[in-house]
Amino acid sequence: MKTRTLAALLAALVLLVAACGSDDDESAETETDDTADADAGTEADSGSDADSGSDADADEGADSDGSAGGVAGVDIDAALAADLDGGAEPPSGDPIIIGMAMDFGDVSGYADIPGSEAVSHLADLINCAGGVDGTPIEVQVSDIQGDPEVAAQVTQELLDGGAHVLIGPPFADIGESVLQVTEGEVPVFFAASTEPNLPDASINSFLVTFDDVAQATAAAEFALSEGFTRAITFSSPGPYFGTNPEIFTEVFEAGGGTVITDQTYVPVDDVDFSAQVNEIAGLADGTEVVYSAMLAFQITALRGQLEGQGLTDLTYLGTDAFEATGLLFEENNDGIYHTTHAFVEPGGRLDLLLKSYEEANGTPLESGTFAGLYADSALVGIQGILDCGCTDGPGIGAAVAQLEDFDGFTGPMSFAGTNGGPTKPVSLHRVVDGVDTLVANWE
Amino acid sequence: MTELAQNIVDGLGRGSIYALLALGIAVIFGVMHLLNFAHGELITITGYVAYAAFLRGASWFVIAPLVLGVAVVASMGIEQVAFRWVRGAPDFTLVLTSFGVHFVVEAAFLMYVSASVKNFNRPGWIADTVDAGGLSFEIFDLVVIGVTLVTLVLTSLLLQRTMFGLALRASAEDFDAARLMGVRSDRVIRGAFALSGALAGIAAIFWLMRAGQTTPGAGITPMLKGVLAALVGGLGSLRGAVIGGFALGLAEVLLRARLPDAIAGLTDGVVFLLIALLFIFRPGGFVTVSHAERV
Repeated sequence: MKTRTLAALLAALVLLVAACGSDDDESAETETDDTADADAGTEADSGSDADSGSDADADEGADSDGSAGGVAGVDIDAALAADLDGGAEPPSGDPIIIGMAMDFGDVSGYADIPGSEAVSHLADLINCAGGVDGTPIEVQVSDIQGDPEVAAQVTQELLDGGAHVLIGPPFADIGESVLQVTEGEVPVFFAASTEPNLPDASINSFLVTFDDVAQATAAAEFALSEGFTRAITFSSPGPYFGTNPEIFTEVFEAGGGTVITDQTYVPVDDVDFSAQVNEIAGLADGTEVVYSAMLAFQITALRGQLEGQGLTDLTYLGTDAFEATGLLFEENNDGIYHTTHAFVEPGGRLDLLLKSYEEANGTPLESGTFAGLYADSALVGIQGILDCGCTDGPGIGAAVAQLEDFDGFTGPMSFAGTNGGPTKPVSLHRVVDGVDTLVANWE
Repeated sequence: MTELAQNIVDGLGRGSIYALLALGIAVIFGVMHLLNFAHGELITITGYVAYAAFLRGASWFVIAPLVLGVAVVASMGIEQVAFRWVRGAPDFTLVLTSFGVHFVVEAAFLMYVSASVKNFNRPGWIADTVDAGGLSFEIFDLVVIGVTLVTLVLTSLLLQRTMFGLALRASAEDFDAARLMGVRSDRVIRGAFALSGALAGIAAIFWLMRAGQTTPGAGITPMLKGVLAALVGGLGSLRGAVIGGFALGLAEVLLRARLPDAIAGLTDGVVFLLIALLFIFRPGGFVTVSHAERV
C-alpha cells in the first residue's frame, strides 16, 4: 500500500513537473502562435483582428514619444558596429519579413538595385547584432521587371510569403499596382518616390522621402534667400518634371520673384537645347537662376549651350534627379545646387553603412543617398512593428502614422499629422570642386 | 529672322545624325528586307565603350575612332550571331529577331554593368559657337553637318563606283538572281552590316558627344528616330532616308522654337501628327520606292 501510495505520489509529482514544463512551453508557443495568428490575419482575414490591433497600436504609438519611440527601436549604432565576420550566431525564431517589390530595369534600377542591396546588408548587420529584440530580420526581394502586372503578381507572392511590410518601387504608376494588391493590409513604403499623390495613410501607403512640394518649395525659398528675383524654369507636363517647376514658380513668385520664361523639353531624352537657348539668349541678362527637374546630363548639356551663348553667370538649381543621375560624375557641374535626401557626413551613420557594405562586398553601393532611404524604409517598418507590438499590417501602419522624429540614416522624419508623406528636412547641396557640399538642411 | 536661321542650322545638325541612322537602317532593309530595331543597340554598345575608354583617360581623339570601329564590329557580330540564322525568313520573323537582339543587349548591360547612368565628358568645344553675319552657330552643328555630307558622298561613291556597291544594289534588286549571277550573298550581307555599322558609328560619335552619358536603354531613342526618319523618307530608299532624317530634325527644332509656349511641350506630338498627315497623302513617304528592296 505504502509502495502504491509512494508510486502514486511520484507519478503525481512527475505529472506536476511535466505540467509546469508544459506550461512554460505553452507560453512560448502562445507567443509564437500569436504571431502566426497575426500573420494569418494579415494574409487572409485581417478583419476584426486587424482593427483591434490597429486601435491598440495607435494608442501605444500615442503613448510612446515616437521618435525613438517610448518603445525602443533598432539599435542602429550597434548594428553598424556588428562584425559580420565574427561568426556570431544569428537569432532564431519567426523573422520579421521585409518584402521588396523592386524594379531592376533601367528606369528604376538606379535606386532599387542599391536600395535592395542596402536593406539586405542592413538586415545582415541587425541579425549579426542579435536581431530586433532577438527576432531575426528576413528580406525577400523580387523583381517587378518594370511591369505593373508583374508588380501585382510579385506583391501577392511577397504577401503569401508572409511579408510584414513592403518596400515599393520609385514610380507611382507601378506603385499603384502594389497598393491595389495590398489593399491597405500591409504597409508599403516608397523609398525613392517624391510623388505627392502616392502617400495615403488610410491605405497604408507611406513615403520615406520628402515630396516634390517640399523640395521645390525649399529650392524656391533658397533662391529668394540668395537674392534672386528672376528665374528661368525648364519643365515638361506631368508629374515630377512638371510638378517641381510648377511649385517652384508658385513659391518663387509668391515671394516676390518672377519667372521670366518656362521652357519645355523632353525629360530623359533631350540633350540638344538649341531652340530653347536661342530664345533664352534674347531674354536673359545673365543674373537669373535656372530651375529644373531634368536629369544631370541634361542640365550640364543645357549649361554648356547657354554658356556657349555667353550666358555664363546663371545659377543652376535642381531636384534630387541631379544626384540620382550622376551629377558628381558630370563635367561642367561646378557650382550647381540641388536638393536631395541626405548628406553623407563622414563618420555619420549613412557613411558607416556605406563603408560597411563596401567592406563586406568589395564594391561600393552606387547611390549612397538611395541606399539610406531604403534602409530607412526598413527601419521605419520595424519601428512600426515594435511600437504596435504586433505584426498585423493595419496595426503596423497605424503605429507608423504616429511616428515622430524618427532618426535613421537620412535625417529625422515625422509621420504624425501627415497623410503618409513625412515631414523631413530637404538637404540642399552644391557641387564645389567636384565634391558635393552641404549648403543647408531646409526645414 | 536671325533666330530662324539659327534654328535651321540647329535642325540640320540634329537631322544629320538622324539621317546617318536612317541610312544605316535603309541599307539593311535594302538587302535583307529587315527593319532593324536593333540598330540603336550600336549606340548603346559604343556608349559603354566610350565610357570605359573615358575611365581610362582616353580623349575624344581616341574615343571617336574606337566608337566607329566597335560599331562596325558589333554590327557584323550581331548579324553573325542573330540575323544570319533567319536570312530568308518572313519579315515578321526578322523584325522579332531584331527586337530580341535589342532586349538581349539591354538586359546584358543591365545585368553585367549597371542600371545607373554612366557619365563621360563631352568634348570641350561642343558648346562653342562661331559668329557669322550676326548669327551665332554652334561649331558642333557645323561639324556634324559637314561630316554627314562627306559621309553621304562617300557612301554614294561606294554604292555607285565599286564592285561591292554593284553587288549590294544587285542583291537588293533581286537577291536570288544576284546569287545566280555570281554575287556572293554572304559577303554582300556582311558588307551591308559593316556599312550600316559604320554609318551608325559616325552617328554614335556625335550622339554620344552630345549626351555625355549612356544607360542600358540608351539605344531606344536613336533607334526610334532612325526608323522614323527612314519611314518618313520612304523605306528602302537611301535618298529618302537622308531626306527623312533632315526633315525630322528640322521639324523638331522649328516646331519647338515656333510653337506657342502654351503648347510647346507638345512638340513631339505635333511632329507625329505631321508624319501621320504625310502618310495619308504619301503613304510611301517622301520618296516612293517601286521595289521595297531597292537600295
